[in-house]
Amino acid sequence: MKRLKQHRAIVWSGLSLALVAGALTFNSDSALGETVRPKASSPATPAARPATTAGAISDPRLPGYNSDRNAYFGDLHVHTKLSYDAYIFNVRGSPDDAYRFARGETIGHAGGFDIRLAGGPLDFVAVTDHSEYLGAMEEAARPESPLSRLPIMADMFSPDPKQIGAAFNRFVAASRSNTVPVEMRDPKIAGRAWKEIQEAAARNNQPGRFTTLVGYEYTSAPDGKNLHRNVIFRSAKVPGLPFSRLNSPDPEDLWREMDKWRGQGIESLAIPHNSNGSDGLMFQTTRLNGAPMDQVYADLRRRNEPLAEIDQIKGSSDTHPSLSPNDEWANFEIMESYIGSATRVTKFAGGYVRDALKAGIVMQEQKGFNPFKFGLIGSSDTHNAAPGSVEEPNFFSKVGRSDSTPELRGSVPPGGARSWNGVILEGGTSRYQYWGAAGLAGVWAEQNTREAVYAALRRKETFATSGPRIRVRFFASYDYPANLASRNDVVAQAYAHGVTMGGDLLPSRGKAPSFLVWGLRDPRSGYLQRAQIIKGWVENGVAKERVFDVACSDHLPLNTTTWRCPDNGASVNTATCEVAQTKGDVELRTLWTDPTFDPKQRAFYYVRILENPSCRWSTWDAIRNGTPPNPALPKTIAERAWSTPIWYEPRH
Amino acid sequence: MNPDTEARAKPRLDLAAGVRFRRIAGRIFREPLTHFALIGLVLFFGVGVVKAARQPVIRIDSEELSQLIIYWELQMQRPPTQDEVKGIVRERIDEEILSREALRLGLDRNDMIIRRRLAQKMSFATEDLAEAVEPTDAELRTLYNAHPGDYAAPPRMTLRHIFFSDDRAAGDARAAATRALVQLQQGRTDIAGDPFVMASTFADISPEALDKDFGPEFATAAIAARLGDWTGPVRSAYGWHDLRIEARSPAQVAPFADVRTKVREAWLAQRREAMNAASLAKLRKRYRIEITDAEARG
Repeated sequence: MKRLKQHRAIVWSGLSLALVAGALTFNSDSALGETVRPKASSPATPAARPATTAGAISDPRLPGYNSDRNAYFGDLHVHTKLSYDAYIFNVRGSPDDAYRFARGETIGHAGGFDIRLAGGPLDFVAVTDHSEYLGAMEEAARPESPLSRLPIMADMFSPDPKQIGAAFNRFVAASRSNTVPVEMRDPKIAGRAWKEIQEAAARNNQPGRFTTLVGYEYTSAPDGKNLHRNVIFRSAKVPGLPFSRLNSPDPEDLWREMDKWRGQGIESLAIPHNSNGSDGLMFQTTRLNGAPMDQVYADLRRRNEPLAEIDQIKGSSDTHPSLSPNDEWANFEIMESYIGSATRVTKFAGGYVRDALKAGIVMQEQKGFNPFKFGLIGSSDTHNAAPGSVEEPNFFSKVGRSDSTPELRGSVPPGGARSWNGVILEGGTSRYQYWGAAGLAGVWAEQNTREAVYAALRRKETFATSGPRIRVRFFASYDYPANLASRNDVVAQAYAHGVTMGGDLLPSRGKAPSFLVWGLRDPRSGYLQRAQIIKGWVENGVAKERVFDVACSDHLPLNTTTWRCPDNGASVNTATCEVAQTKGDVELRTLWTDPTFDPKQRAFYYVRILENPSCRWSTWDAIRNGTPPNPALPKTIAERAWSTPIWYEPRH
Repeated sequence: MNPDTEARAKPRLDLAAGVRFRRIAGRIFREPLTHFALIGLVLFFGVGVVKAARQPVIRIDSEELSQLIIYWELQMQRPPTQDEVKGIVRERIDEEILSREALRLGLDRNDMIIRRRLAQKMSFATEDLAEAVEPTDAELRTLYNAHPGDYAAPPRMTLRHIFFSDDRAAGDARAAATRALVQLQQGRTDIAGDPFVMASTFADISPEALDKDFGPEFATAAIAARLGDWTGPVRSAYGWHDLRIEARSPAQVAPFADVRTKVREAWLAQRREAMNAASLAKLRKRYRIEITDAEARG
């Protein structure tokens, strides 16, 4: 039986590889740890890059090419006026505007003010509008359009935040009960918007400088439980229309459609997000239809979903304090309601990526397949056509006019009041206050081109941040020399003799692996406080987790019994948001050997880098308003970055 | 019954009846009343035929029907039954009749919504005609030469740097960078600083990118540095650096070949605008425009 399963696994691996024309160096299910990069010392051949589909895509080497790979920062979750909800929120920014904003230009906000990135341009962006009713709300707002006469459009377009909220709720309820008039999904209207998205991407793509990717959001939420995904395409070759929730609410059908596209030479990947608002549904261990998972399902899922979005404005999906009671940093930008409503989440297991990674290795151990072997990215989910707008001192939240003022987003007392006495926040504001200025995607790629960035996403050489542009390197090997971290050719050596994030460590021959962890601060954000490795492993059939501090700032000694750094004494003046300039490090770098390593135990390891504490956006808003910060919210946060895991796959 | 017997029996019956019929028919044929009725009938049916020929036709072809069925299926998530297809057709016919009657009665006049829609369709139609032309390289070059600013790239440089981390003890990084600089300027090539997450050489990087990744002081120093000489120590967000500019290219207009697509888009956009303006101007000549409001006329 086991052998049969293995054969099936091999056949499926082969099939899936054939499907992508063998073009992409993402890990196959054969657990062969194939992410070991070809030697960096062969600059004549771009061996580090994935081979390309027979002649379909070429990626000429540009002057900035770096065989040790550069970190590029981007946003893979961006809505414009073409999304029905953004349009209701008064957003009029187009895909072109989104790309202009990402390149550092100024655009208008629905609230009537100008917005601009303080941290400078991003490197790559995908506009991902909702595929459901794509472009139709903009159409319906034109008095000459027949759509404007639909009864559901009465009072749909108002500048008043209360009315906007009511209109949004009404439309979402109609969508959920399938009573939105069919005219709203006129393929002609959707086709026009889809074309606008593709043309804007083509116009704004500048190989070597700025990468655009064509994408869209698949917006399924059975009973309001969030199963949203962003679909990102490798090239300009995309289907005639997106496959949306209106085609099927079951993501399995989306993946099958993506397989079909792949057969037609259209390569794409899907990234689930806001698992925190799924009430445990996103990473539950059965299929959506209730059937048990099997190898075929796991392959289908992994072939199409190599990544998950761990952080965005609507909260962090790393872990929930109730799932990780021994993680002192778990309580970070936690959102405990459904998406777009006040319904409370009751089931946290299945809703967070760390829990899913653990469930995945248990399934691998017990059933021989792992549906949750994904890499990590962050992104904003801005609905303001404003990619990367996740800067704490420069935050205008994400739903257009609805949360455009500090009062509307709950950071200053309502009605011009000077104190929070007796204040109870209502409506959207009661939820917006808990949203974070968070979510950025990082990739390690040889150059900033569509081909190189997409290949990095495919092989999961990605990381996520809560907004700051913190760079994270992560490698593992059994053979790294002890002085690796202090060598000048450290990166080339690390690639040549180990695996990087997204890869598998082969079975150990008795030696414990060592991990190179390296974080570099964002020049415009705080200093780094500590680097951690989060380990998940299977012990007697049960998944466990532990957080290890592995590098401390300020030359502080690491306690190797508790695996915690001493407090570095960093503090924030919450009256001014000023931080002490003498605490924390520019970079944290170490080579760490797992003292608890057991060659028989299946495991994963990922890095979390923590900054010194700094003011939360709500505190910045309060200071500018001259009122005390909202007492329901933390005044400061520890900004952070997460790497994609490295998995240890023991022999069976 | 035997068919032969029947056939033989028939002729016998006909004889007397035939003579009588001929006599009566002759009388009726000559009767003026008959003439009147016949002419009436011809007129009646003739006018009907002529009328039918001039009656407006509503034709639903299979292409339109299948489109209607697709819309229906989108809404109902299943294919329609035969009766429902009949219903779809009936509804479409009703809509057509009502809209034509509305046009006949002139209900489209003085309706802003209909007017805008038609105007929009007309301008789309004009644009579609404009798109059909493909510019020549010569035309594109003319446009490119007329607006070089649109195709300018920022200045770029290639630089090498040696990094001394702020994480060294206080003051140490700067002192080390200063010491190293002296040696570098003496021509030493074996000077190493601290390992650095980013690259130690950057090819083809812009001052903006340096500002973003290292901070403003570093970018300013790189712009000011003399080509080929080691300079420093330069402050960055991470510590101190000694740096050398290996190559530098000023802000320059991108070669035509690199931006041809962009120029072509601009050319097409310009042409589209010109065509629209021209066609509107031509159309405008067909009309005498009277504005009665004095202010609007001014």
